[in-house]
Amino acid sequence: MTRKKLMLNLICLGLLFVPMAMNGLETKLSGEFWGRWLAEIAKRKNATGNYENKLVNNYLSLERGYLGLETKFTEQVKGRFTVDIYTTDKTYEYQSYSLEDSTLTASTKSGSIDGAGLKIKYAYVDFGGFIPVKDMTLTAGMQKVYFGSIYDWSYTLIGKAPSDEHKVANSADLGLTLNGYLPSGYGEYAVGIYNGEGYKKVGANLKDNTDFAYLGNLRVTPITGLTVGGSYMYNTVGREKDLNGEANNSAYEKQQLMDAYTRLAYGPVDLNCEYIVKNVDFPNITDSNKTKKYTATGISIFPCINLKEYLPYDLQIVGCYDLWDESDRLVSDKARNKLAASTIGVNYNFMPDETDTPSMQLQLNYTDKRYDEDKSHSDYANGKQDSSQINLQLKWKFANTL
Amino acid sequence: MKTKIYIIALVSMIIAALNLSAASKNQITCTGSTTVLPIAQAAAESYMDNHPEINISVRGGGSGVGVAALQNGTTDICNSSRPMKSKEISVAKAKGINPVAYAIANDAISIIVHTNNPIKDITIQQIKDIYTGKIKNWKALGGPNLPIVAVSRDVSSGTFEVFNEKVLAGAKVEGSAQLLASNNAVLSAVSNTPGAIGYVGLGYVNETVKLLSVNRVIPAVASVKNNSYPLARKLYMYTNGNAKGEVEKLIGFIQSEKGQKIVEEQGFINIK
Repeated sequence: MTRKKLMLNLICLGLLFVPMAMNGLETKLSGEFWGRWLAEIAKRKNATGNYENKLVNNYLSLERGYLGLETKFTEQVKGRFTVDIYTTDKTYEYQSYSLEDSTLTASTKSGSIDGAGLKIKYAYVDFGGFIPVKDMTLTAGMQKVYFGSIYDWSYTLIGKAPSDEHKVANSADLGLTLNGYLPSGYGEYAVGIYNGEGYKKVGANLKDNTDFAYLGNLRVTPITGLTVGGSYMYNTVGREKDLNGEANNSAYEKQQLMDAYTRLAYGPVDLNCEYIVKNVDFPNITDSNKTKKYTATGISIFPCINLKEYLPYDLQIVGCYDLWDESDRLVSDKARNKLAASTIGVNYNFMPDETDTPSMQLQLNYTDKRYDEDKSHSDYANGKQDSSQINLQLKWKFANTL
Repeated sequence: MKTKIYIIALVSMIIAALNLSAASKNQITCTGSTTVLPIAQAAAESYMDNHPEINISVRGGGSGVGVAALQNGTTDICNSSRPMKSKEISVAKAKGINPVAYAIANDAISIIVHTNNPIKDITIQQIKDIYTGKIKNWKALGGPNLPIVAVSRDVSSGTFEVFNEKVLAGAKVEGSAQLLASNNAVLSAVSNTPGAIGYVGLGYVNETVKLLSVNRVIPAVASVKNNSYPLARKLYMYTNGNAKGEVEKLIGFIQSEKGQKIVEEQGFINIK
């Protein structure tokens, strides 16, 4: 670990104690840890150049370790600080720029991290009562992105929320939001401005995108158990002009992200459905056909059946059908991937706390991914092949008032 | 093909789960407010005496704990010393839980001090000034030269939330105040500390502490029922949807004349 990284990690750990030092009304320490075994079989080329199934992944990891402090400064003002500690994750992302033929080109790259990594997931303050609207909160700082189901995704399934999985929206970002609840429990809403960069990117490139991202989200529960809603986000990637001149950046993207969400909870059944649209435009590419402009769509159906009521054990059967269609996106005149992923799994919840909420969860998921991909395309060789995956995960959590 | 099999399997599971019939329940769980706890316990014992086939389990933890248990579907009855908030109702409804409130008693958040304290009355503003640290000595209220020890409930308590709304109006409790997890803990701390001031549900007040009037109104049946006592409130039991079966009978029993006698025996005020 370099000295800079060590310093950053020490600063982050030091920040954990800031809320305590501020003498809050109540400070809660909480943690959540996910230990995972993953085994994956996918198609790879053999010696004769043909594709065959091979074991491509088989490892144990501490996939996530959330450690957080939540403090109430007053009944209306609360702060939250959460770091994400992990032993395997390559999502240290940054953007690299090159200037060729007066065109600034951006590309997203990822770096590997040796040993444990640390990311600040949340660092925000909620100001209740700041605006005289009942149950409205102003939230400032590194916070949830209220898009789709990403902000309240409870990981009942091991996989990520659809908009996270397909990199439509970031799960956390620096921003300012107004969020709250409709009277009498009729739903919730959020509007906000974010950096649009997420919480994973590091370095000077964070400053290169000078546009903000704008978000609106509304969910309505007209009758108990039925929730419908949607969210909209306008975001950009990269900066429009070269910092050192007026040259257009051809990689500058304008994104319109839309999501429709439905949840049906009745008795033991909890069914979530989500439809996502991602419109991407490249305003600095002036070819008449606008070949880089594309629309990606996704649909996800996620049922969960709680069997606690009927069995001596707290068991859940979970499933997911997820379709992500990016075939409208052309790269070198070739259509890119269309992915159908099906997951089935079981959760065993145990070690209940005083509210009978389990402190531990053992999850077993089997996922089958099918890509509709042109085999001659470079993406195919780079991992966009059909695969099957088994995940076994033990999650445990705690929360104590200090 | 495989995808179709998955979809068929998932749909089959959903249909099967919907067809599972809920077993008739002889076990009732009540979770939540420590203020409501003595009422729930006494009522449960009385109810079980006449219905030996029914087993009622009563747990405390605070109103927040009870609400969380109702949202998670892990309790039949949530005991709460405050109304549920919009956020809590919204979360519950999205999960298919429809919180329905049943008022079971009237209560007064009672301001108590040590028995040796000569103070008899206090104003809402003075209570706020004490808990926010502006008044630190009983001398400022015409009492002895004695430092004030503020004793409060922890913030997950429904009693604290009502106290916060009606007295503190969102202001912060001073850092040196003791935050305790139950009415009994507050009662014990105040009875053992000469300079202490605390607040508890009316049913917890006994001879080990001194009860103060607030704005010259004593918490009593009439002043609570007509809301002239400034810290009057109702106590609730919440269920998922309208109470049914044995849960309905139990709540009906608590709201009945016999049940309200139990409420009074526990030191609270009836809703009749």
